[in-house]
Amino acid sequence: MTSLLASETAAVSFPVLTAMVLTPFLGALLLLVLPNNRPEYFKQVAFLVSALTAAMTAWVMVEFDKAHAATFQFVDQYEWIETLGISWALGLDGISLWLVVLTGALFPIVILAIDAEHSPKPYYAWILVLEAGCMGVFLALDLFAFFVFFEIVLVPMYFLIGQWGHGERAYAATKFFIYTMMGSALMLVGIISTAVITANTTGNDLTFGLIELAESQALGQTAARWIFLSFALAFAVKVPIFPLHTWLPDAHTNAPTAGSVILAGVMLKLGTYGFLRFGIYLFPEAAVYFAPFLVALGTIGILYGAIAATMQRDLKRLVAYSSVAHLGFIVIGTFALNTEGIEGGLLQMVNHGVSTGALFLLVGMIYERRHTREISKLGGLQKPAPMLAGVFMVVMLSSIGLPGLNGFVGEFLTLIGAFAAHRWWAVVAASGVIIAALYLLWAYQRVFHGPAEGDNATMPDLTVREGLTMVPFLVAIVFMGVYPKPVLERMEPAVDALVAHVETHVEDFDEPVADIAHHVELEDLADLGTDTHGEEDGEHG
Amino acid sequence: MSDYLRSYLTVGIFGLVGVALVGVFLGLGRILRPDHPNLAKNEAYESGVEPTGDMWSQANIRYYVFALLFVMFDVEAVFIFPWAARLEAYEVFGLIEMAIFIFILLLGLIYAWRKGVLKWV
Amino acid sequence: MLAALAAEVGDFVRPPIDWHAAAPELTLLAFGVLLTLMDIVWLERGRKWAPALASIGLLATMVPIITLAVDGADRSMFGGAFVVDKYALIMKAVFILAGYIVVLISSNYISEGDYWENEYYGLLLSSILGMILMASARDLITIFIALELLSIPAYMLATWRKRDLKSNEAGLKYYLMGVFASAILLYGMSLLYGASGTTLLVDLNESISASDSPSAIVVMGIIFVIVGFAFKVSAVPFHTWAPDTYEGAPTPVTAFLSVASKAAGFVALMNMLFVGFIGRDDVYEPMIFALAAVSMTVGNLIALRQTNIVRMLAYSGVAQAGYMLAPLAVASDVPDSALAATVSYLVIYAVMNLGAFAVVIAVARKTRSAEIDDYRGLFHYAPGLTVAMTIFLFALAGIPPLGGWWAKFRIMGAVIEANTVSGVVLGVFVAVNSVIALYYYARIGAKMWADEAPDGDLTPVRVPASLKSALVLTVAATIVFGVLPGLVGDVTKVSLLAGVGG
Repeated sequence: MTSLLASETAAVSFPVLTAMVLTPFLGALLLLVLPNNRPEYFKQVAFLVSALTAAMTAWVMVEFDKAHAATFQFVDQYEWIETLGISWALGLDGISLWLVVLTGALFPIVILAIDAEHSPKPYYAWILVLEAGCMGVFLALDLFAFFVFFEIVLVPMYFLIGQWGHGERAYAATKFFIYTMMGSALMLVGIISTAVITANTTGNDLTFGLIELAESQALGQTAARWIFLSFALAFAVKVPIFPLHTWLPDAHTNAPTAGSVILAGVMLKLGTYGFLRFGIYLFPEAAVYFAPFLVALGTIGILYGAIAATMQRDLKRLVAYSSVAHLGFIVIGTFALNTEGIEGGLLQMVNHGVSTGALFLLVGMIYERRHTREISKLGGLQKPAPMLAGVFMVVMLSSIGLPGLNGFVGEFLTLIGAFAAHRWWAVVAASGVIIAALYLLWAYQRVFHGPAEGDNATMPDLTVREGLTMVPFLVAIVFMGVYPKPVLERMEPAVDALVAHVETHVEDFDEPVADIAHHVELEDLADLGTDTHGEEDGEHG
Repeated sequence: MSDYLRSYLTVGIFGLVGVALVGVFLGLGRILRPDHPNLAKNEAYESGVEPTGDMWSQANIRYYVFALLFVMFDVEAVFIFPWAARLEAYEVFGLIEMAIFIFILLLGLIYAWRKGVLKWV
Repeated sequence: MLAALAAEVGDFVRPPIDWHAAAPELTLLAFGVLLTLMDIVWLERGRKWAPALASIGLLATMVPIITLAVDGADRSMFGGAFVVDKYALIMKAVFILAGYIVVLISSNYISEGDYWENEYYGLLLSSILGMILMASARDLITIFIALELLSIPAYMLATWRKRDLKSNEAGLKYYLMGVFASAILLYGMSLLYGASGTTLLVDLNESISASDSPSAIVVMGIIFVIVGFAFKVSAVPFHTWAPDTYEGAPTPVTAFLSVASKAAGFVALMNMLFVGFIGRDDVYEPMIFALAAVSMTVGNLIALRQTNIVRMLAYSGVAQAGYMLAPLAVASDVPDSALAATVSYLVIYAVMNLGAFAVVIAVARKTRSAEIDDYRGLFHYAPGLTVAMTIFLFALAGIPPLGGWWAKFRIMGAVIEANTVSGVVLGVFVAVNSVIALYYYARIGAKMWADEAPDGDLTPVRVPASLKSALVLTVAATIVFGVLPGLVGDVTKVSLLAGVGG
């Protein structure tokens, strides 16, 4: 396919980003042609393909030039549909880097950790297609290509839920599909309008290139606001932002474990990433205009998700609602529209991918052993499965935001940013942190403490394979909690550039900076995790 | 009202007038005509022949096939007359073309014959 | 009177005939004649050769179309009534290839039933002949002749299962509605002729767009013509025949009607709008706007409730007609984009819809039914067909990277490019409707993949070779059009199709 798309202007070096998108896709095709008589090969091939993709991701991460993190690197650009100014343009900057790394790392783990319950061939093929789609969304620098990938990811997830899910799987799959499609349908109108209006105003050729469109800023105020809304609806459904979140608990509960992990780990970020990369970058004025509204919705989502999570009787549903709350933090951080907030939100996206992904994996392991997720039917699992309990504890604490673990850094930055921009909303949002501690600790207590009875008493502990798959999560949780600097310093230039972009293009908008942020320079923040609990009081208070 | 909408109004009026005309003429007829029905008057008129049987009886379907074949060649004539009027201008080319045209129509007749349509079963 | 005629004869010269330009029509006609000859000579013994001869005829017709395309020159005959340009060639190719696929999916269906076989293919070819003539027609009379030539065989094909009451109903409804539409169309044409004194579309446009505001007679003429074609393309509210006809007609015929016949209606409509009425956009655009918006919405909403897959495809076809009409409602603002969008959609719609019907035919070979519930668990006994059906359904729903997505993108691009309020409103209509449509497509997907087979009957479906090749062709085309739309994007880069010879 590449050779057909390539034009004379193709980059001289190896098109690594294109390879990262196409490798999983070609892997899926390879799976389809494998003979059916050796089903154990499917998993191995899928793992190898995703590992290869992960290796390329790792290479990109190492080679990433952090001094120029604000510009797009490794750019691959080929003509796709010349007449309409559509190109296959992929690129990577500080904003997308970690999400790409997260995607690259999560998929091999998911493939390795979870066996297909049945029909392994299509199962692994769909997972690989999903990986290709997610990679594409994070890398796309062309609105057309972005939309294509944004829609493609729905299809494998629809099948993963519909065919390998549990319970009301057909209902959940269709609901998921319709909801997310509903959001993105209008975005297509928005995308085309943006391109057409820009071409008309500037007199240039029609183009769907993100950078050209964002830099020309040719839309009128009213048009930009409307189009921003069409984008925002798509992203809000995907995030999901209250009140568009109702598909999420159903999808998560009925999805197979791998589906839940990927959904929480990667797919929910498509929305929040979309806000950053497309919403704010293309329509800075509209983003500033609607920011208070989105911050309000984010805050409501935090409280609503937290309270709803507290009331759940199903462990998986509880984690699902906790996602709603966590993503609320990301939204308020993003729409604080200052460096701290956006960076916190971005970091929180990665954190949430790691910790909630791990939580879903662990819940899946419990379900596999006990065939139930009812919290009331579980209890005292700590005795028969101390390893599982220990891992669960660490991951859960990361999700709560315990200092020293990754969740804390992200939430803290987010709240600083939000505090500077919308003080009272931030105060309300901070209470979500406390409720999070409440429902997660309470759930932990009910599941792992107390006397173990019946099947609970004989539940086997983690196997070696399961233990090994959890290691990367634990390493990431601790590393990013203790030493987030390498992560943050690669984000920062890109985030600064985005904020500067907003400041240049929106009159009388200055980055909201709180007093507190003046004292806390980011270099200090990088070492936050190692500090004592002094900072924690400041945040929780 | 804009000129543009006015033209749609014309369409509407045209339609209304059409409906109204039919109604008026049928109504007028009913009002004006003398109405003294009797048995002989209600009988269907068939060239002075006394009608027998039910008037809803079906025509034999076999007539239909012959009618169709007849129409085929009837229409053919419509094309042949103007062609004949300009035969000189068309020259040999026109002759061949008409031959092909008639051949195709004849093909239909042969087809019907081969399929046994022409037999009066 | 005859004397007056004779006086004119004097300076009459025979119109020159460009044999190359007419070659596609002549080739197809020759093969139709050959098919009848074969029937006359061999009678029933010719049965087994009929589909082969028909497909050879269709492929042979592709040859002059390709040579004309390679030649690339625009040709015009009969004073501009018959035009061969890029647009005409593309549409001819679409009709021929759609016809070829219909032959492929018909051959087993027709030979296994107790049907007249030679006549079936003969009628099919003559209907296709009407369609390829339509692609070149730029004159009221030529358009009407082409329309009748393509419709009359189709009426008969719809009743082909003549011992089946539903098939009779299908044919009768189609026939009555069809002639009704023809009558309206003809009335409209006669009004336009009366107003302009010409049947040639180019001259017609010049005449009717001379004044600032249209005369009433022109308005009525345009409206009646559009209504006539709205029947043909089954746009709401003129769609009522479609579901019953589609359900009752033999499924290959349904595929033919829903693709080729609909495309022919659109071709005629585009010829009329872009050449004949383009100067009177104040008259036709509001009407097309309403037809498009209502068709897609009503079609999709009714499709939601269908339990029979053919009826569902019929209503989805109504909705798709709405999508295809949408760019025509902005035809005067962005003529090139609008035309390219509708043509792209027609090409891709033909492929994916034919594919969907091919699967319906294949599945019905086992289940003997077209109820959606009989598609439950299809994946467990016919995985290949399930994958193919899923591709077609998702393509119809407009999910990237399948062909339907590109088609929808073109439609949206055209209506938004017009930069008018009505254009953006139509864009929103298309967007909202594609979500509604996704529901019923995805529902079938869920039934095929997630449910268990009824009665646990897992005997595989045997798919004959011709049907299989039709499926392979359509699947491949659906994917290629989506991944490399540059292909279809380039072939539909057609401009306003005025008669070059004027």
